[in-house]
Amino acid sequence: MTVPTEHLLILAGILFTIGVAGFFLRRNLIVVLMSIELMLNAANVTFIAGSRQHSTAGDLNLDGPIFAIFVIAVAAVEAAVGLALVIALFRRRQLVMLDQVNELSG
Amino acid sequence: MANALFYILSVGAILAAAGVIASRNPVMSVLSLLGSFFCIAVIYLLAGFQFLAAIQILVYAGAIMVLFLFVVMLLNLGDPEGEAAREPMFHHGRRAFLAMGTSVAILVAGLVAVLNTSFPAIDPAVAETGNDPVGQLAIAMFGRYSLPFEAASVLLLATTVGIMVLAKRQRTPRTQGERA
Amino acid sequence: MQSANFLWWIPGLPLLGSIVAGILHFVELRARKRSPGDRTYGATAAWCAVAAVGAAFVLGLIGFGALLEVGETGTLTSASWRWIDTGGFDVNVGMVLDRLSSVMVLVVTGVGFLIHVYAVGYMKGDPGYAKFFAYLNLFVAMMLLLVLSDSLPGLFVGWEGVGLCSYLLIGFWYEKGFPAEAAQKAFVVNRIGDACFLLGMFVLAGLFGSLDIATIDAGVRGVLADPERQGQLALAALLLFGGACGKSAQIPLFVWLPDAMAGPTPVSALIHAATMVTAGVYMVVRMNPLFAACPNVLYFIGTIGALTALVAGSTALVQRDLKKVLAYSTISQLGFMFLALGCGAWATAIFHLVTHAFFKALLFLGAGSVIHGMHEEQDMHRMGGLRKHMPRTFITFVAGAAALSGLPLLSGFFSKDEILAHAFADGGPYLLLWGVGIATAAMTAYYSWRMVALTFFGQERFDVATVEPHESPAVMTVPLMVLAVLAVVGGALGLPAVFHVQNLLGDWLAPVLAEGNELLFGAAPPHMSPATEWVLLGLGAALALAFAHKGFHDYRDGTAADARFASERPAAARFLGGAWGVDKAYATWIVQPVKLLAFLIAVVIDQFAIDGLVNGAGAGARRLGMRVRRLADGSIATYGLWMGSVTALLAFLWMWMGVR
Repeated sequence: MTVPTEHLLILAGILFTIGVAGFFLRRNLIVVLMSIELMLNAANVTFIAGSRQHSTAGDLNLDGPIFAIFVIAVAAVEAAVGLALVIALFRRRQLVMLDQVNELSG
Repeated sequence: MANALFYILSVGAILAAAGVIASRNPVMSVLSLLGSFFCIAVIYLLAGFQFLAAIQILVYAGAIMVLFLFVVMLLNLGDPEGEAAREPMFHHGRRAFLAMGTSVAILVAGLVAVLNTSFPAIDPAVAETGNDPVGQLAIAMFGRYSLPFEAASVLLLATTVGIMVLAKRQRTPRTQGERA
Repeated sequence: MQSANFLWWIPGLPLLGSIVAGILHFVELRARKRSPGDRTYGATAAWCAVAAVGAAFVLGLIGFGALLEVGETGTLTSASWRWIDTGGFDVNVGMVLDRLSSVMVLVVTGVGFLIHVYAVGYMKGDPGYAKFFAYLNLFVAMMLLLVLSDSLPGLFVGWEGVGLCSYLLIGFWYEKGFPAEAAQKAFVVNRIGDACFLLGMFVLAGLFGSLDIATIDAGVRGVLADPERQGQLALAALLLFGGACGKSAQIPLFVWLPDAMAGPTPVSALIHAATMVTAGVYMVVRMNPLFAACPNVLYFIGTIGALTALVAGSTALVQRDLKKVLAYSTISQLGFMFLALGCGAWATAIFHLVTHAFFKALLFLGAGSVIHGMHEEQDMHRMGGLRKHMPRTFITFVAGAAALSGLPLLSGFFSKDEILAHAFADGGPYLLLWGVGIATAAMTAYYSWRMVALTFFGQERFDVATVEPHESPAVMTVPLMVLAVLAVVGGALGLPAVFHVQNLLGDWLAPVLAEGNELLFGAAPPHMSPATEWVLLGLGAALALAFAHKGFHDYRDGTAADARFASERPAAARFLGGAWGVDKAYATWIVQPVKLLAFLIAVVIDQFAIDGLVNGAGAGARRLGMRVRRLADGSIATYGLWMGSVTALLAFLWMWMGVR
């Protein structure tokens, strides 16, 4: 695949923007968490693009994928914690709409 | 041909992502995200990073999304007649305005940045490289990046403990009803 | 220069006495809680204090004796302590007993001793008995430090110390209210003088590079020869004199002394008659080369002295309060001393200082005896005919009044006459000062005998039944008698030359004053023919006798003369009564503006502006916080929005900078 790096990055940007929009606009907590996953994915694509850019014929640059693997690990962790919070929240209030979760006010 | 495939897949990924944030039913959102992940994974393959593609499918699509689905099902959020279905999808008012503005700004900023930078062309031989990327990855992972690796495992451990604490059922009179 | 470290004990013993008395005061306070009326601690403190001063007097005598052996210019010096050491400029403090300071030491400790004994009786029954003696001893210690110091900073420490003790003692009965104000007034007015003194010290330090008195006195000649630095000498002399004005109650800084009469009478006797107020005179004599090098400043000093004598003397003519008469009289006599200094008659000034200490202390103590016997009555218009009730007080008081008025052959006669003779001999512009001095001497005689007549003669203008005047106990009358003897025969210290007898004091002090005399008069000191001197002596005696008689006669039968004066010349009566309006002028022109300024600063600037600013800042921060608080509405979406948008903004900025 010899797609120019710009196009990969544009793809990542669009995915990221969609994730941002979902993060800010949706009221359902689960969807918000999924938007976060989307954003992380976009970051992964960016890493890949960079790694591909810096590779030469005989030597594949592996920094990208490795970072991306760690990002996936962290994403997993974060999703798990977020979902645990959702469950704990649900036990209390029966509903997971974001603007109703406002007991942390001051 | 690989290039053409890339463009098709990217369109697919974008549409799926849009589907994530635009679905009313959370289950649909999950499935859309799954689709998006698949497209991305194939893109990784095309770029020559097979191991990453495999991990993407296994972990991201196979574990994380399943977890999401699990929770959605557990809380019965997908029920079209349930309470969740009747809630408005988006925020209203000033928040929405600000959110859209930010998103657009981010997109524009990103596009401007990308289009203003010149990247050298990619050598087609890069993607065909087959000499044991997985082996090299392993050497790098357990050699140069062994510290982040161990840190990641500690992080996973901490998270596990944390989740168990967080999601623990409170044995107090306040608990309303019991759910499986 | 003989080494004599025992000199440190001369101020040291009274200091010790002060500490002991102070401790006993607190012990007494405790003891009184258990058994009120217990007086043992107080009495112990008193006798410790008396003993301390007495011992200091003995040491002074020993020093005096040692000086007799050491020769004309010999001195006893103690080890010196380096107070400030800055490499270029050092300040040392040490004690030096020379002929001049020995005289002062004997006067301070001698008269001080008598006053301490007197106070044992006078202050009996006062709840602050031990405290009084602590303060009194501290005062003596400070005064001795002042007198014995061999450097100006050491002198200044004593100078300030006596000022402090004056404050403490004037305001001794602070519960009454007015004494506290009087004490504050004394301190503040003194402070102005002290500021001048400090400035003078700075100039001197700049001129001579050292503040040791010996160095300065020796270096005056050299500076005098240098035309550039000459002017600074006069400046320094003037500033030092400014300090003396404050301490010795000369114009314009005399207003504190009449108010200081609010303190107990032994205080008035010791501090405001015999010793502290004479510190200014002593200081000028001590620095006589400096002053001698500036004849213009000397004339100025003489003028101030004469003027002060006149103003105070005339004020004393119309006072009703017994102590106020004596207060103004003191100011007037101090003016005489400064007049003497202005004429370059250093030894004469000291002579008058000594005789004045005798008779003024006597008069104050006598007045105290009267007041005590009259149960705290001080208004002469309510006295009269007391000579039958208090014979011993009467006799001694008369002796003092006679000496004050300058009746012939008494101590005051000789010392005052010597001053006037010097003024006359100096001639030229000094004749004017002589005239003022003569007029004041006449007034002095008049008001002295007015005092005697109103208090001890005539009808008893009080209710004998309620006020039972009685004679004071021996512990008070014996010092009176001793002082009376001294007041009468004290003149023997300085008999005029025409008597063909040695002038003891003058000859004794001559070596110390040699430098000053030479600088001022050169080889030709002012000279008077014996005939002129006899005429002046006669004139003085005649004036004194005449006005004394008039004063006595006018008031022998009562206060009618005062009433007549007030009705015939009310403006003059008020003018004189208020010390020529000086106090009032100060109140209007200085005190009121300062109070206004203080109000401005305290209320307007401090309360409104500064507090407003500070509190306003706090209140403003609070309001801002309230506003900002509303941002944190608890909704995670809002938080997320904030985080995201700001991050985006930052990324934007970062990219922009990078791209540029």
